[in-house]
Amino acid sequence: MTGGAPVVFVIDDDPSVRSSLKFLLNTVGLQVESFDSADSFLHKKPPDAPGCLVLDVRMPGLSGLDFQHELARRHIHIPVVFLTGHGDIPMSVRAMKAGAVEFLTKPFRDQDLLDAVRIALERDRARREQEKEVADLQRRYDSLTSREQQVISMLVSGMLNKQIAGQLGTAESTVKVQRSRAMEKMHADSLVDLVRMIEKIKGPSEKAS
Amino acid sequence: MDLRNLIETIPALVLCALPDGSVELANRAWQEYTGSSLQQLSGWVWQTTIHPGDVAKFIDEWTMASAGGKPFQTEARIRRADGQYRWFLIRKALAVTPTRGRESSLRTLIACEDIHERKEAEAKLQDSEILLQAFFENSPNLIFVKDRQSRYLYANKEFKKAFHFTDEIKGKTDDELFSAEQAAAFQAVDRQVLEAGLPTKFEDVVLYEDGQHTRIVQKFPLFNAFGEIYAIGGVVIDITERKQEESARRYSEERYRLVLETANDAVVCIDESSIISFANPATSRIFGYDPTELTGKPLTVLMPEFLRKLHENGFRRYLATGQRHINWQGTELTALRKNGQEFPVEVSFGELARDGHKVFTGFIRDISERKQAEDKLRASERTLRQLTETIPQMLWSAEADGAIDYCNQRVLDYTGLPAEQVHGAGWMKTVHQDDIDKMAQAWTVAVSTGEPFQYEFRCLRAADHTYRWCISSALPLRDQNRRIIKWFGSVIDLHDWKEAQQALRMTQVELARVSRLTTMGELAASIAHEVNQPLTAVTNNSNACLRLLANRSLEPEVLRRALQEIVADGTRASAVIARIRAFIKKAPAEKNELPINEVIEEVLALAGRELYENRILLERQFTAALPLVLADRVQLQQVLLNLIMNGIEAMTAVTNRPRLLGVQSRIDESGDVLVAVRDSGTGLGLEADRVFTPFFTTKANGMGMGLSISRSLVENHGGRLWVTPNSPHGAVFSFTLPAVGGSAA
Repeated sequence: MTGGAPVVFVIDDDPSVRSSLKFLLNTVGLQVESFDSADSFLHKKPPDAPGCLVLDVRMPGLSGLDFQHELARRHIHIPVVFLTGHGDIPMSVRAMKAGAVEFLTKPFRDQDLLDAVRIALERDRARREQEKEVADLQRRYDSLTSREQQVISMLVSGMLNKQIAGQLGTAESTVKVQRSRAMEKMHADSLVDLVRMIEKIKGPSEKAS
Repeated sequence: MDLRNLIETIPALVLCALPDGSVELANRAWQEYTGSSLQQLSGWVWQTTIHPGDVAKFIDEWTMASAGGKPFQTEARIRRADGQYRWFLIRKALAVTPTRGRESSLRTLIACEDIHERKEAEAKLQDSEILLQAFFENSPNLIFVKDRQSRYLYANKEFKKAFHFTDEIKGKTDDELFSAEQAAAFQAVDRQVLEAGLPTKFEDVVLYEDGQHTRIVQKFPLFNAFGEIYAIGGVVIDITERKQEESARRYSEERYRLVLETANDAVVCIDESSIISFANPATSRIFGYDPTELTGKPLTVLMPEFLRKLHENGFRRYLATGQRHINWQGTELTALRKNGQEFPVEVSFGELARDGHKVFTGFIRDISERKQAEDKLRASERTLRQLTETIPQMLWSAEADGAIDYCNQRVLDYTGLPAEQVHGAGWMKTVHQDDIDKMAQAWTVAVSTGEPFQYEFRCLRAADHTYRWCISSALPLRDQNRRIIKWFGSVIDLHDWKEAQQALRMTQVELARVSRLTTMGELAASIAHEVNQPLTAVTNNSNACLRLLANRSLEPEVLRRALQEIVADGTRASAVIARIRAFIKKAPAEKNELPINEVIEEVLALAGRELYENRILLERQFTAALPLVLADRVQLQQVLLNLIMNGIEAMTAVTNRPRLLGVQSRIDESGDVLVAVRDSGTGLGLEADRVFTPFFTTKANGMGMGLSISRSLVENHGGRLWVTPNSPHGAVFSFTLPAVGGSAA
């Protein structure tokens, strides 16, 4: 599930700018999809491929920054490269804080834009990979029995087999069996590996709650 | 006869003298009188026998008699044996020629007769006359003597002085001295005295030099030794002054009586025992006692109980020591009426000594009403004073001449000065030195003209020792003759208000500046955006081409399309820049008198391509010979272009009806030049009001500035820009511009 080729989404109300950006990005072999407003982008289901947004801050309808918030609200974690005709410092600070990759003032050097887009795409790719890994781990974790999950979480918290057995009211040998089965299912080579995996699963889920 | 014997027979002091005066013989009487022997009496003896004061005269007489043959006679004092001198008449008694002897020489017998007694009587008489004369002359009365024929024999100095006679009046008659009438009156009395032979005394009035005089005249007959009347004497006593005094006294007495009887004040006299001896009619009105009823009663009946002892003690003390224990002129006391009512009085006392006894007079005034009025006034004043002292305002008053005479506590608190330092012109100390001259001048002008006074000045506030803006105002109070009698004023600290006002003004200025800046900033932002869009496109397209070229993969078709876009964007950018330039030029607009139709035609020419490409039907409705408008040509073009382009864009979506753009020029009702741009587009509907708001746009590509800028441009020219719906479709944008006097040719 690596998805297709990366896609750059260009959103600008100005058709000239739109088409020229598309033209420029095409020259380095990037796939471009352009929209005349944020709304029209939101109406389209994004493809399952690494992507980034190239976005004018000042747009009719939803402004660039508002749009950035809206994306966050919808859990769309797509990197954003901002373009602006006349950006000011507070505006750029806000944009960068909200996770913008770059804030470019029009007219910009083409290399700056291409670099920003490349970083954004790489970041999205990495994000996507990480998401995929976590999803894999989660899937493995989900395949464990509830008793196996119980034992693992106790192990991760630093308890010894004997202690776990004591707490669960089972034999230590039983715990040992459950433990090795769970590690096998999780594809964990060691206890340290297992702890790392569990942290990856719990981390994002805790943040999301 | 023997000469010796002869001289002895003469009963006088006799001497026989030789022609040279030397003595030859002296009789016994001589010798006895002088106490000298004959021996001693021989020769020139006169020097020793006659009083030294008489010797010279004696010698003269003797010499003259010898020379002229005149009988010798003189009077001289001869010394007696005891050394006393007595007066003698010395004369030649007999000249003898001796018959015997050879010597024939003349002898003179000199007899000396003692006339001392007579001499003394004469001297006495003379003294008496001098005395009388002195009395007459120094008498304050007029004294005169007239003979039977009324001729003046004598008139004293006072007489002459009274009538201012300077000439001798002796021998003159009344007819010569007085008026005929007056003379007749005098003479009538004279006759009466002559006829009756009796003195008379009467009072008459005679005109003197200095006016009429009243006199008492006494005339009396003067008798001679034979009992006959030989003259009339007169003594006149001038009683004019006495008469006047008497009259004045009588008048005065009458007046006092009248005053006492008609006085509103009670007048009560008491004796040394404080017993009432007199009470005037007013006493009954004031005290309720009949005046006669009071006589003989102690004064204390007119006093309330608590004063009686005090009076008695005080009165006694005064009689004993002469020390007054109350003010005798206008002391306020409490008095008691007959009916027992107490009331306030003002009493003054007088004291008179009569036959060694003191009489005291009291003048008693009922001041009940005055007291009530005073109390009321005091209460009113107190209220007013409380008001002025508690009112949270600074108040003051000034004399008619502008000198401050009162400041309320607020002023004193504010300035921190004691009242006496603010009074007069002391208030000037508190005024800021930059304001003091003008303020003093304004005050002087107000005081001299009576105009209401008002002046803003900086006043030194004691609390924080700072000068604060205050306003002082005053109005004059006038009497019924419109004369200013006082000024009343207030001082208001308007520093905070003034500062607030200042701050408000600053805020407004700041607001205006900020809003202008904001507008400019927003404008700059939008302009940057507007310009950057085509520039970005140009840059992107160019860069893309360069990259393809570097990769040797630039196909001519791609390049052509890119270049087309680059040209279009370049054009667009320059259009924006033209707009910006026009807008920037807005500030110093270069206004000229323009024919509006000509400007419209220019703009239509500019928009020609757009009109053609969008298949717009243009309808010109120009009014010929319109007045000129005073406008900046470029700005006016901007406005027109904006409206026309808006109209065109509004109709791009219209497919089911003609795209009609109407441009009209005419004079409106108020005489302004009106231009209307009418489209048959989609219309503005509910948005009509918002289209002039900056950055509001109905167009996908609009910036939202055009109409906003257009409106400000029109308004800067003194016109209006507004929108109305077109019928049946679209909108009409109209603007007016004031017409210049003339009209276009």
